Amino acid sequence: MEAEALKFFIACVTAAGFGIAIAAFGCGIGQGLGLKAAAEGVARNPEASGKITVTMLIGLAMIESLCIYALVISLILIFASPMTETVTALLTH
Amino acid sequence: MDNSTSIEQGILNFVKRANWILLACLTVGGVTLDTGFAAGIACGGLLVTINFHLLARTVRNAFVPCRVVSKNAVLVKYYIRFAISGVILFILIAGRFVDPFGLIVGLSVVVASIFLATLLAVKKLIVKEAV
Repeated sequence: MEAEALKFFIACVTAAGFGIAIAAFGCGIGQGLGLKAAAEGVARNPEASGKITVTMLIGLAMIESLCIYALVISLILIFASPMTETVTALLTH
Repeated sequence: MDNSTSIEQGILNFVKRANWILLACLTVGGVTLDTGFAAGIACGGLLVTINFHLLARTVRNAFVPCRVVSKNAVLVKYYIRFAISGVILFILIAGRFVDPFGLIVGLSVVVASIFLATLLAVKKLIVKEAV
């Protein structure tokens, strides 16, 4: 039982690490592309900066939410997993 | 301010208002279910709503030509905001102060507001085309 719990916990921690890494990678690329396009748009047409800014802001908020979701899921996997207490008790013995 | 800019500004104002309204409604709804769930919704909703306002201010300062500020200041503010959000989420989840599912619902407040704004904009477009 304890070995199974430890295996499960190791799988959770690995999944959390890979999950947040992949999410940050994807969100970083998405935000970078959005910012690049917005910066080019403002440089070409400074009068449209207000319109571009609002559209980009909404896009950035959506992308950032994805990264925050991934962070929350990763934290839940590590700290709120049902096996956390079992493994903590196992390691402290 | 031309017509298109005012439409964009209207959507932004709608999202800002809808965030607070949704947060209040969901928190009140959550209280009827469970206190921990409601606390999760309140904490998550407050976090993303304040984050959205700060992001709006940072982006406006960075992209409106007459108000452009230092590039480093924008980056530092962005990372500080993100780090503080991460630390708050860590404390809430690791300390088990709130229900994680409530927290996820609370964190979805901004996304739900943006979807609502999009649906309203699409509805207006369809109605305009029908007329």
